[in-house]
Amino acid sequence: MMTRLALLGVMAVAALLGAAGAADAKEYLLTSVKPNTLVLADPAARKVVRTYKIAGDGAPLGIVPSPDGKIAYVVTNHWGSLVGIDLDSGKEVFHADFSEDGLRVKNTFGLEISKDGSEIFVLESPVKLLPNEYEVQDARIAVYRTDAGLKAKPVRFLPVPRRTTYLLLSTDGGKLYAINWDITVIDPKDGKVLETKTLIHWDRKGYAEPDVFGVWSQFEQAQVYVSPYFVSRTDIDPKDPAANKTGLVTLDLATGALRLADFENTSVVIFTSVVNPVRRDEVYSVYSTLTKTDLKTDSIVKRVDLPHTYYAVNVSGDGKEVYTGGTMDDIGIYSTETLERIGEIKIPGGADQAISWLRVIHR
Amino acid sequence: MKHVKPITRKAKLVEKAAEEGKLDEAVPMQTLTGCATTFDPGWETDPFGGVANLCQPMEADLYGCSDPCWWPAQVPDTINTYPDWNAGAPSAGRDWRKLHAVDKK
Repeated sequence: MMTRLALLGVMAVAALLGAAGAADAKEYLLTSVKPNTLVLADPAARKVVRTYKIAGDGAPLGIVPSPDGKIAYVVTNHWGSLVGIDLDSGKEVFHADFSEDGLRVKNTFGLEISKDGSEIFVLESPVKLLPNEYEVQDARIAVYRTDAGLKAKPVRFLPVPRRTTYLLLSTDGGKLYAINWDITVIDPKDGKVLETKTLIHWDRKGYAEPDVFGVWSQFEQAQVYVSPYFVSRTDIDPKDPAANKTGLVTLDLATGALRLADFENTSVVIFTSVVNPVRRDEVYSVYSTLTKTDLKTDSIVKRVDLPHTYYAVNVSGDGKEVYTGGTMDDIGIYSTETLERIGEIKIPGGADQAISWLRVIHR
Repeated sequence: MKHVKPITRKAKLVEKAAEEGKLDEAVPMQTLTGCATTFDPGWETDPFGGVANLCQPMEADLYGCSDPCWWPAQVPDTINTYPDWNAGAPSAGRDWRKLHAVDKK
């Protein structure tokens, strides 16, 4: 009993220290601009803190921070390489080129890191380059050790369904969610399929298959995957305003609970969404408008026009500010209460973020 | 294949392979991301048949379409085919005059 009490005491102290550490850590934003530039911004100061020239041509794509916020892993080289950048020294500490002789391999969005930061999961689409044809190979997840250095090779491959775009780990790290037409739950150790949760195969009388779109991974704050979906009703006149519905799919990465619910007749395009980590029923969605949706009532709380289209959205840890990113050279900062634009971060040089991810890190 | 006759050597080989059951299965690409697999409107009209829900301004969307090879008929694909199409023009809104049409040689 004493041993157990002592252990509980140690755990309590560790938890307090962990909480204190998290409270001390400051939030920063990571994005990227063309050509091959990683950007670290301070949202409180409303400015870019540092930029990093990274290897590879073209626009960076996915960004995944290490759990301690010290290293950013970034897809570069026209989706053909992954580099790890030490955010303090600016040095490249990890580098993996996906292609090999006769096999062209591209990362198509999915990118995730293990909870201990030791392994990184890269969704890959390989194509065999034959003399007279391209032969599409099975999609796969390449798993790299993050300590593999500058000539990293995968330590294992996991099978994954085609059309997968997102890779997301459960909060305990024991399940890897591959978001495709449905959600395939994979054991990250051996690729064994543990479960399939239905999205496009949602059996709903009077409705067609929902269409889920999304390539921006931005769910670190609430640990809830959220994405808009669009679905047509088949039981009413197609000209009826209610014939097309917009909804939100949420997957709680802690519990695995999946929920789909319509919230409006489709009236605007929405690309991506994020859940408020404090008021967890609030969802913010972007494209050319910023929309606040209430998951309790599945209704729109407020919608405002944005000065231009944004692809990506994220939110502060205190739930007070929502950040809009991607496309052009600024990050918009909005009040989660009023959706008023309360600030912005201009990226020096004016280059486009294009389809870069927008991540929040603590360091 | 009843109404189509092979006239080239390769077409004859394809027909022979099909008859022998040796023709590879056609496999779709992994995602519905670009390279002629996307059929949703976007550059000309929005999903409602108008233009109000296109990206605003269109320059905000230009590299978001070239980089993932989204509409390769309208915007050059910078993943594989024209990797340098927008090199030297990192801001579509500012640098669009430097962009050129492409012609596969």
